[in-house]
Amino acid sequence: MPTPDFVRAFLLELGLGALLLLVFAANLGLRGRDRRVVGWIATGGVLVLGFTSFLVAPVPAALGGMFVQDGLAIFAKRLFLGATFIGLLASLGAPEIAFARRAGEYHLLVLSSLLGMLVLASARDVILLFVAFELMSIPLYVLAGFLKRRDEAVEAALKFFLVGSVSSAVMAYGLSFVYGAARSTDLAKVTLAAASGHPLVTLGLLAAFAGFAFKIAAFPFHMWVPDTYEAASTPFVAWLSVAPKAAGFVALFRVYFEGAGERAAAWVPIAAGLATLTIVAGNLMALPQQNTKRLLAYSGIAHIGYMLVGFAAASASGVAMVLFYLVAYVFGNMGAFLVVEAVARAEGSESTAALRGLAQRSPLLALAMLLFLLSLGGIPFVAGFWAKLYVFWAAATVGLYWLVLLGAVLTVVALFYYLLVAKRMYIEPPERTGPVLLPPTLALAVLLCAAGVIVLGVYPKPLVMAALRVAAPLF
Amino acid sequence: MTLPVLSLITWAPFVGALLIMFTARRRPLAVRLIAAVTTGISMAGSLWIYAAYDREAAGFQFYEKLPLVPPLGISYELGADGISLLLVLLTSIIIFAGVFASWTVAVRSQEFYALLLTLVTGVFGVFVSLDLFVLFLFYELAVLPMYLLIGIWGSSGEIRPRGIFAWAYRETGVGTKEYAAMKLTLYLLFGSAFILVGIFALYVNAGAASFSFLDLEAASFSPAVQRWVFLAFYLGFGILAGIWPLHTWSPDGHSSAPTAVSMLHAGVLMKLGAYGIVRIAMGLLPQGTSDWVWLVGTIATINIVYGALAAMAQTDLKYVIAYSSVSHMGIVLLGAATLTEAGLNGSVFQMFAHGIMTGLFFALVGLVYEKAHSREIGRMGGFGQAMPGIATAFTVGGLSSLGLPATAGFVAELLTFMGAWRSAHVWWLFPAVAGTFLTAVYVLRVAKQIFWGPPSPHFHHLEDARGPEWVALVLLVAVLVLFGMVPGIAIAPVDTATVALLSRIVGP
Repeated sequence: MPTPDFVRAFLLELGLGALLLLVFAANLGLRGRDRRVVGWIATGGVLVLGFTSFLVAPVPAALGGMFVQDGLAIFAKRLFLGATFIGLLASLGAPEIAFARRAGEYHLLVLSSLLGMLVLASARDVILLFVAFELMSIPLYVLAGFLKRRDEAVEAALKFFLVGSVSSAVMAYGLSFVYGAARSTDLAKVTLAAASGHPLVTLGLLAAFAGFAFKIAAFPFHMWVPDTYEAASTPFVAWLSVAPKAAGFVALFRVYFEGAGERAAAWVPIAAGLATLTIVAGNLMALPQQNTKRLLAYSGIAHIGYMLVGFAAASASGVAMVLFYLVAYVFGNMGAFLVVEAVARAEGSESTAALRGLAQRSPLLALAMLLFLLSLGGIPFVAGFWAKLYVFWAAATVGLYWLVLLGAVLTVVALFYYLLVAKRMYIEPPERTGPVLLPPTLALAVLLCAAGVIVLGVYPKPLVMAALRVAAPLF
Repeated sequence: MTLPVLSLITWAPFVGALLIMFTARRRPLAVRLIAAVTTGISMAGSLWIYAAYDREAAGFQFYEKLPLVPPLGISYELGADGISLLLVLLTSIIIFAGVFASWTVAVRSQEFYALLLTLVTGVFGVFVSLDLFVLFLFYELAVLPMYLLIGIWGSSGEIRPRGIFAWAYRETGVGTKEYAAMKLTLYLLFGSAFILVGIFALYVNAGAASFSFLDLEAASFSPAVQRWVFLAFYLGFGILAGIWPLHTWSPDGHSSAPTAVSMLHAGVLMKLGAYGIVRIAMGLLPQGTSDWVWLVGTIATINIVYGALAAMAQTDLKYVIAYSSVSHMGIVLLGAATLTEAGLNGSVFQMFAHGIMTGLFFALVGLVYEKAHSREIGRMGGFGQAMPGIATAFTVGGLSSLGLPATAGFVAELLTFMGAWRSAHVWWLFPAVAGTFLTAVYVLRVAKQIFWGPPSPHFHHLEDARGPEWVALVLLVAVLVLFGMVPGIAIAPVDTATVALLSRIVGP
């Protein structure tokens, strides 16, 4: 029997469910080849839900402790809704006919995946966690192959699907051990069992870690990333590169840290090792890339490594700094992908050469891209600087100086390839004259990202404080 | 409420940059006037603080403080002592001269001046910040615009690579402006990673929750921390100061940069590195300093000799000047490493003298290149007849460079050598003096070849400097001679700071 408490706990999920039905109904009702109205409904709905999320307050756990609406969940849900809003806004003006004709399909899939993320952020139960993970992932496989007439897109979707299913299987297998040893699917009890040092629980959690590493695309589980990013449509990729990763990190915090207290330190060696590999591999593999989307794909892998540095700190401030990093990453990375999309529409090419002389053709677009690149590179006065600084800080306070130094030095490698893109825009002469025209919705999305990068770069304090507040109860 | 004069000096160029970007679209003259006026304000301010500084009281004066992030102890805290006074003056003179020296930049001049002025704000900020975190932000602001300044307005070397590595040079684009810009930026950012880690280590170990220099000075650090953090700072700031073998960004960068940027970079930015070592590494880590001076001094002597030898071998005029900077920065660090009053005074004075001198050289090379469209020494000759003004200024600069009495260079080198003589490592004196001798060889050879030799058949219709360009030359030559004749006006305030610094390291 739904009580007011129940409604309060599930307000966002219920709202999103209603939006899904609305989009579905609208799609059925519409006739003809242009169904973009559906897109507007979905985008507007997500915006409304985003505002609603600021009315949501933490409530006691529902469904017998399976579902919690705590500070961390609300923080993460705002992030998902914000990223989805920007992603949907950018895809509204997409020129491919598929986006107009199959708008209903596209938006239903995005929203279902979003629903999976929202539930995932609140899941405190192994079964619910797994179901939410699959609800998030399966629509992503379909979306990766959305442009089904392109061979590469189909190939990328298949690759993504196979790797993703294997990782889900590994995760499910590991979680079955956990259940067998802990005799409960409740994460709180699992944590207690892990603390007792039961070998099967440790083994199970280790297997599950590999599954999570696939989802967040840490090295060596990253192979699907560049191909998928290159072939899928760019506004979707912009979203894919941030939102599911953020969801993966929230799940990591829930499973490995929440309630673990001092014992969370057991995961430090694995997390630090994975962070090292991911940072080194991502940055080095990004170096030779000529396609901007592939470059951003590899640089994104490196960013996951930097977030793992914060994870490796295994402390409340480490978790908080990863949350901050995720927000900065949403703005910086989505912004960079969207500028690539804008240029690709005008030039028909996603190579870095297409950006040549952009500063002289569209100074503002080039400036926005420069800001995104500097933010990704971790330069002062834009969001990414504080993000890197805070993760390093968290790692340094627990004594991981070597990891900090390694990360800081590899930042220089990252700046090299980001500056190569900046060189294309600012130093090389343009091949064609005339500004790059972009539809107003895409321009608005880029503007939002740029504003986010600058505001967080100049005044990061409120967000840092909020992140620290929501991370504190985990330990 | 007193006038926040340090903020005024620091932010005036930045305001100029904003004005240029937003008001002076496509009006080249307005751009240059705004640049000249705002840097003029900075220069007036720095002259005023130089005169108003109370030498009896010493310490940090013109103090300003504004908390930025109180829980972390980050605040906007400015103050100047004898060392910063002189370097702020140097910066303001160089940038004021630089604005005039690059009067003829035609391509995208609006962006050029805006970036240049932004960069200068960063430089001023580093010299006057007392909060290490804010200092780091200013440091990054001083480094980053360089990439675009060199990449867009720089010039690629015209002399084709030769020798056994020629193919590798061609493959990697050595000598092109893009290569130089990227190399410089990456080297300096690599260094800044070490600086940041060093600042954090101090912050965490001091336990005072403050980035303020004054608070960190009062804290005591364990010997192990001092040893490692000093090394991190030495490496980080040392890259910018051009320590061997991490100096290679400097010749490439300075040769490819446009005139005003070379002036500013060789003249002032390399001093940021030396200033960081003296102010932060030596000022905060007395024990670490004693542990590592042998390394600092030895590498400094290598710098002096190696830089001079490399300069002798160059055929490109800009590379000669760039390598001479590497050599002269060795004198700066050698003076600091002697841990004597004379040596430290010499070190700071050399920062100033070399800044002015190298600024003058790069301004002159820029002018010569603009008139003759060549930097290849072998092709030039007899320019003295066509451009007597430039020839005279070059000769004065050259004489100062090799340390002729009555020029600023002489005072600096003499003090440094006196310091080396009294230091624990007397042998440092010999490579240092040998370096000066080598400097005389290459400077005189270049001056004779270009200006005083027989006229070259390759060049016609050469002209002397014109209009605004004279402002730069006269100003720099005058300063060079003035500080050589009356070094006391610079030594007196510097001495108040260096004595205090030394008493922390070696005891009173």
